[in-house]
Amino acid sequence: MKMRLTEKGAQRLSISFLLAPALAVIILLFLGGLITGLLRSLNYFPLIGLNDFNFEAYVAIFTDNGFIQSLVLTFHIAFTSTLISCILAVAAALLLRPAFRGKRIVHFFFSLNLTIPHLVGAIGVLYLFQNSGLVSRIMTGLDLISKPADFPAMVFDPWAIGIIIQYVWKEIPFIGVIVLAILLSVGEDYESVARSLGANRWQAFRQVTLPLIMPGVVSASVIVFAFTFGAFEIPYLLGRTFPAALPVLAYQSYTDVDLAARPQAMAMAMVIAFISTLLIMAYMKLSRVYIRE
Amino acid sequence: MTTAPAPMPHFNPRSVGRVTLRWVGIAGLLAFLVAPMVPLFIWSISFRWFYPDILPSEYSSRAWEQVISPTNNVLGSTWQTTLIALLVTVLSVLFGVPAGRALGLHNFRGKRIVEIMILAPIIVPGLAVVLGIDTMFIRYGLSGNIIGVSLVHLVPTLPYMTLVMSGVYANYDVDYELQARSLGAGRWATQRYVTLPAVFPGVVVGALFTFLISWSQYVLTLLIGDGQVQTLPILLFNFARSEPAIAGALSVVFILPGILVLLLSSKYLSGDSAAVGGIGNI
Amino acid sequence: MTQVKLSGLTKIFDAKNPPAVDQLDLDIDSGKLTALLGPSGCGKTTTMKMIAGLLRPTSGDILFDGNSILSIKPEERGAVMVFQNYLLFPYMSIADNIGFGLKMRKVSKKEIRSRVTDMLDLVQLPGFEDRKPNQLSGGQQQRIALARALIVEPNVLLLDEPLSNLDAHLRDEMRVLIRRIQTEMGITTVFVTHDQEEAVVLADKVALLFDGRLQQFDSPDAFYDTPRSAEIATFFGGTNFIPGHYQDGVMKTDIGNFKAPHSAVGDGAAMLSIRPEAIELGVGGDNSVAGTILSHVYAGRYARFQVKIGDLEIEAITEPGQVKLFGDGDTVPVNFAPDKIWILEANSTPQPVGADSAG
Repeated sequence: MKMRLTEKGAQRLSISFLLAPALAVIILLFLGGLITGLLRSLNYFPLIGLNDFNFEAYVAIFTDNGFIQSLVLTFHIAFTSTLISCILAVAAALLLRPAFRGKRIVHFFFSLNLTIPHLVGAIGVLYLFQNSGLVSRIMTGLDLISKPADFPAMVFDPWAIGIIIQYVWKEIPFIGVIVLAILLSVGEDYESVARSLGANRWQAFRQVTLPLIMPGVVSASVIVFAFTFGAFEIPYLLGRTFPAALPVLAYQSYTDVDLAARPQAMAMAMVIAFISTLLIMAYMKLSRVYIRE
Repeated sequence: MTTAPAPMPHFNPRSVGRVTLRWVGIAGLLAFLVAPMVPLFIWSISFRWFYPDILPSEYSSRAWEQVISPTNNVLGSTWQTTLIALLVTVLSVLFGVPAGRALGLHNFRGKRIVEIMILAPIIVPGLAVVLGIDTMFIRYGLSGNIIGVSLVHLVPTLPYMTLVMSGVYANYDVDYELQARSLGAGRWATQRYVTLPAVFPGVVVGALFTFLISWSQYVLTLLIGDGQVQTLPILLFNFARSEPAIAGALSVVFILPGILVLLLSSKYLSGDSAAVGGIGNI
Repeated sequence: MTQVKLSGLTKIFDAKNPPAVDQLDLDIDSGKLTALLGPSGCGKTTTMKMIAGLLRPTSGDILFDGNSILSIKPEERGAVMVFQNYLLFPYMSIADNIGFGLKMRKVSKKEIRSRVTDMLDLVQLPGFEDRKPNQLSGGQQQRIALARALIVEPNVLLLDEPLSNLDAHLRDEMRVLIRRIQTEMGITTVFVTHDQEEAVVLADKVALLFDGRLQQFDSPDAFYDTPRSAEIATFFGGTNFIPGHYQDGVMKTDIGNFKAPHSAVGDGAAMLSIRPEAIELGVGGDNSVAGTILSHVYAGRYARFQVKIGDLEIEAITEPGQVKLFGDGDTVPVNFAPDKIWILEANSTPQPVGADSAG
């Protein structure tokens, strides 16, 4: 008995030893950053003599129409991008699943996007879809439009079309690779069983394939949603200044010459963090449900 | 045995149609994925490219010369980006491999909380934390220098490396180590000759993508670098609106490590590995 | 009850490789249990998938009751396949799994529920409705997979290696169950197996395939008594082969002449085959020759002797008591009963005796 206890104690010690450096970094930087931000958003800043908490920054941003518009826009961007990416990624994975000639090369190009930084994709989308961009030039060449102004606004536009295109472009391979891996590891036999039992193509997909890939799609979607909700550089490059996506608005407030805007910037950062935390909790819950099955 | 009629080759127009449709789909998909790269490349070799010309009227290597010219700050910036990414990778491996081992091999009280703490920095957007980190770093003199930027890059990379290694260790049978110990290997010899070779491919893939995540970081560098640390993405962003030719050439330089990493690691990369999950951060 | 006819059925996956199924002709009796037997990779599962409509034949035809069904989609063929690894849908309850086919046919929920209950009774797993597949043992999953196929009342039931993933005692139970259900419901059933014993025990007729080609399609006993080639004889367990010349019902060999009334070939060079269990030690007579016992093994329910006759070595399996009668080095008369001798083509290349060392 005594022997076992010491053995267990030794193991706990070695686990702590293994985890300590990584946890220290995460606690100091990540939690430290979050807590500093939280205190600052509550107007607590002893260095300059602010020793009391208050919710002024939160009241200020939630009563500001501009902030609400940003919040709505950011939800629109994240939701639309995630939804379109999911649908197209599943379609792409189904397309790439069967054996065909050149499959390896096609798969390579498919996963190539995973490594191209968002920023490069965003600049590419900008040069494609701005008023004088490549698409506009081609349409002019085809006599579909006659001047740049005729080209529909796809970047710096109110619907954030350019931003969404960029996210979809980048996330199709991300979700697609995950779905494709599930499809390949599950194989086609489940669908064969369903077909054999009388399901047509659509029923076999809907009743059998979709439930099998759903856990992967859901977990990838949570990551994509959280990313598209909080990413900065893409809306910073492709979006309007007003209303700007929430992360851009937070950055603008943070770098504002008026230092009084800083607590509000921190409050916005906290809102972003809070919504992401909700997502993590949903993700953990979902992943636990799926693991149990 | 029966006498069969002469076998007829079976031809089904429906299936032929489906195959054609598949290829149209694949072609469309690849075209969409490659499309944003096309104007970048054309811009990088253009000299005059006015609306509504579909292709430039004059080509030139001007942008490329500027990119590789030593008088320009691109080379210095590339070096700086590489240095930061290397530092970040080394630290992530040093801290992430042991943590991944603890999570992948052991069950312990509070494991769930540790997992959430590791997962959180991957899902919580960088901007939400970096404003607070900036406030701390300014106080401790870590703002505006390479050390501070490298440290803040650990926020997305270290959890990623830990997750990858946790997946690697979860598939690793620790009995190999016990076998080695019973054969007379010491603690360090066991790690060196048994454990390390087993987990090495995972470490390499994780390290390559860690490098890439740091290499691609924009907003963390923007805030903590405070204009003093000009990595490639910062430079690229500055040129994006004003100098499309240089932005095009820089983009090509910027995506090269990624292609290299994919070539090196494609055989290890499948969607069910943790490696993919963290790529959401690039 | 559906009669299934395969006609020149061929499947080529890759032009570089030989066909997976090559010009297969087969008449599968309606309402009977037919085995597709062969070593792995012989094309039996491919054949089954083509019948089910899950693979498209390269050429040839499949007819149900005389009508080609190639243009009929898998879900409308009524040829239901049960896969080797059961493939119960993991996220569905047992009831939903069994009811799947009826749901696809838009049968009312109430009726599905009552028929699922009937099916669970049939496969002797009553009350399993609300369980999940991962809570079931392999044998139970197999029964559910069977129930899921039977509930749609298929014209043809296709079972892929139905017993191979089960351990020995479950295998016997499952055999009995399959046989019973098949007889009760009278469904034309085809099953694939690599195990000749399984095929013989379960099937009314066995189709043996090597390399995508049909070798023999017969009742089970014919494979033992009258195999069409030495290869087939070998596949059905170890056999002794003795080359020689066959003429007028007599096989002339290096070790003597044997009366052999049963033959697959006409006069000329031929191969005598006789099963180890048909050889009698210590029995004299017209078809008897002298042999020396080299070694023996006592195996409880039987005994096995290696016997040298001239330059040949043959194997004999006898009842176990014989180990007391004969010792190594003894010279004994070895009788080849004429009825048990089967004459095969000479040019088929037999495996050496004992290559199949199964006891």
